[in-house]
Amino acid sequence: MAAIVLDKLSKTYKVKVREEGLKSALKSLVKPTYKEVEAVQSVSFTVEAGEMLAFIGPNGAGKSTTIKMLTGILHPTSGSANVLDYNPVKDRRKLSYQIGAVFGQKSQLSFHLPPVDSFRLLSNVYEIEKSEYEERLTQLAELLELGEFMNTPVRKLSLGQRVRCEFAASLLHAPKILFLDEPTIGLDVVVKHSIRELITKLNREENATVFLTSHDAGDVENLCRRAIVIDHGKVALDMSVKKMKYDYLNKKVISLKLKDTAAIPEMDGVTPIKVTPYAAKFSVDTKIAAIGRVLAALDSENIEDITIEEPPMEEIIASIYKGNRKGGEKT
Amino acid sequence: MRKYMSIAGISIKNALAYRANVTGRVIFYFVFIFIFFSLWSAIYKGNEIAGYNLTQMVWYICMTELVVFCSGSSIFGSMNHEVKSGSIAYQLIRPWNYIFKKFAETLGNITFSASIFTLMAIILGMLFVGPIKNFDPIAIPFIIVSFILSISMNFFILMSLGLLAFYFEENSPFYFIYSKLLFVFGMLLPIEFLPLWAQGILRFLPFSLITWAPAKMVVNFSFEHALAVLPLQAVWCVAAVILALFVFSRGIRKVNVHGG
Amino acid sequence: MEVKKHLKLIAKYFAFNLSALTEYRTSFLVQVFGMALNNASFAFFWWVLFDKIGTGIGGYGFQDVMFLWAVASTGFGIASVLFSNTRRISGMIMTGELDTYLLQPKNPLINSMAARMSASAWGDFLYGFILMVLIKATLGMWLMFGVGIFTAALLMTAITIVGHSLTFYFGNMEVVGGTLWEFTITFSIYPESIFKGPVKALIMTAIPIGFITHIPLRLAHNFNWGTFLLLLGVTAAYCLLAFALYMGGLKRYESGNLIITRM
Repeated sequence: MAAIVLDKLSKTYKVKVREEGLKSALKSLVKPTYKEVEAVQSVSFTVEAGEMLAFIGPNGAGKSTTIKMLTGILHPTSGSANVLDYNPVKDRRKLSYQIGAVFGQKSQLSFHLPPVDSFRLLSNVYEIEKSEYEERLTQLAELLELGEFMNTPVRKLSLGQRVRCEFAASLLHAPKILFLDEPTIGLDVVVKHSIRELITKLNREENATVFLTSHDAGDVENLCRRAIVIDHGKVALDMSVKKMKYDYLNKKVISLKLKDTAAIPEMDGVTPIKVTPYAAKFSVDTKIAAIGRVLAALDSENIEDITIEEPPMEEIIASIYKGNRKGGEKT
Repeated sequence: MRKYMSIAGISIKNALAYRANVTGRVIFYFVFIFIFFSLWSAIYKGNEIAGYNLTQMVWYICMTELVVFCSGSSIFGSMNHEVKSGSIAYQLIRPWNYIFKKFAETLGNITFSASIFTLMAIILGMLFVGPIKNFDPIAIPFIIVSFILSISMNFFILMSLGLLAFYFEENSPFYFIYSKLLFVFGMLLPIEFLPLWAQGILRFLPFSLITWAPAKMVVNFSFEHALAVLPLQAVWCVAAVILALFVFSRGIRKVNVHGG
Repeated sequence: MEVKKHLKLIAKYFAFNLSALTEYRTSFLVQVFGMALNNASFAFFWWVLFDKIGTGIGGYGFQDVMFLWAVASTGFGIASVLFSNTRRISGMIMTGELDTYLLQPKNPLINSMAARMSASAWGDFLYGFILMVLIKATLGMWLMFGVGIFTAALLMTAITIVGHSLTFYFGNMEVVGGTLWEFTITFSIYPESIFKGPVKALIMTAIPIGFITHIPLRLAHNFNWGTFLLLLGVTAAYCLLAFALYMGGLKRYESGNLIITRM
């Protein structure tokens, strides 16, 4: 069942254009000239219920504009969005009961009071019945491992505890779609890891559709099965993360630990990265040179250890962004 | 000295950048004077009260407000902020340098405000009630000195109050109480409106020396008045600087001892 | 119905915000007393003035001016205790803070305004009552105080909303909103008759500041149903105007026709 359907969704802004200098400043007062900025251009895709989608793109790509149109904060210029069978523009309030959001930098909790107090306030905002609320809170407390610290003022909580409470706050009303914007930003590695586990658990237990925006490649890699890359207002890429990792760059990096100095095989598609007396590192473009052939070209007697890696997610994403900058569209 | 002048130059540029802020203050100044003009016009029927006539009363409030609007009173907030944020610990530790650096920084702002509000004061005074009768140009140098002393005095007192953030979590009451004392002891009304015994005490306190002293010099100059207030203004000015130095040096020591 | 839901929301915010403020007891109390003292200094000014001039001012005596202060102060207190975010409307629009409230299933104006409470406003709130007692207010004054503090709070809020809503239409109008907010007090605490001509006309019509304190005082001395109903009517009408202007502006915001930088 489709949770979110975008059909040729577009948003064009009219921005006042003004050049430097006093003359044009005066001119713009009297007869302003406008430039049309196409922030989002005819974007179409569908998100199934329960999916965990990464929505990524460079800054200024049109990500937040798209999300604003999906949540009803912004009206599209043309095209349509259908979220849980609602028109976000017409039924924003009805839709808001069904969606939740966690914004990495913004907090829904009062800094001075215990999280439970903020939870209770939110239960009023979302009109959750008292009994339902208490049941839900118990459930979330278990799911998110919120202990007694729910009753401690937020200012006294650790970052990890705080983030878990932020999640609880956004889930109180059992939303069917969760918009996560940079949820792990600024968190240390351990907390990042536990939050990612949390999100995976949520997706599984609640069957909530997760719409994740993140600049953290680790988030994308560890959480989402599908990624949509948006750039310059258009969908640049829409594929499974797995495919992106394994197929996109068609690249593998081989690191060798050697008994004796050895030369890197000279083949088409093999690019040396680093050579030292007892180690060699090189990349293989698997479109040109099959991995098997490259391995066969190595002197196995000489090899003490071998590591074969895919390029890190960062590199993949960066190359997608860069690739798009050059104007090409890769599939 | 040159270092301080260059800081002042930068702060003028900064002050110009806060144009929007100025609009709000200009509006507020205008409204304040307008209201008091309306009030005094309703009260006065061509007579004198406590030795002041209508024209004098309106010019009086123009002048006292001028002092308050020009004193760079943002210094309270910025001192507060620097102490609370701890950035003060990174500043020069020597109290003299710090205190006067802050003054030099604000000087641009003060000069900028002073130009605008002096102009406004004169325009509004002329507009609402016309010129002061028998205004003697010989008063001008005294007036200028008095204003400079007032503004400096006010500045350093506010700075000291702001620096009390070293000792008090919530020091905004100090600002409120101080500014209200300024209000009632000379800004809204000349102290001649108060009973004689009160006037006697107030002549020695900084509040009326900041507002009433220079304002009276404009609306009703006399050498006796100048002689009575200028030395006291100078004394309090120096005292205010010493106070600021004291609060700062004690405070910064406390920070260094406790690690900020 | 919707109105009841939102009244309940305001009440919930009230309890929530008050708990947050009283977490820091000393700071809270200091701000409350500081503000009350702050206002008392003006009482001192008026007392000195009336004492010196010996007569009334435009038909107002000391007690009358103090009544203006009481209504203005407590009215302001109510407005700032319940809706402290009113004066931040322009800021919330410009920074996109408004979006957070748009994501919630409640009216964004009410929701955003009620989300904050001013501590010092409690000082203003209490000061009015204290003043009423100290000046030995008449029964008529007490009755009009009882009504006037609410109409005052509503008018102050509504007028400020009108000012800030212009940000939706013309870009950052923080100055306008802030100035109007100050005007609702500045013009309310002086005798009615000092304002003449176009100013008087303005504060009795387009920007009904005159209804905040001056009309209640008139009614305290000479009650008549016509004027009383006018007071209620003007208050209600201006609230509706403010609401309509804000919601209309919100539509523009959602169409993304604002030429501003948002995060």
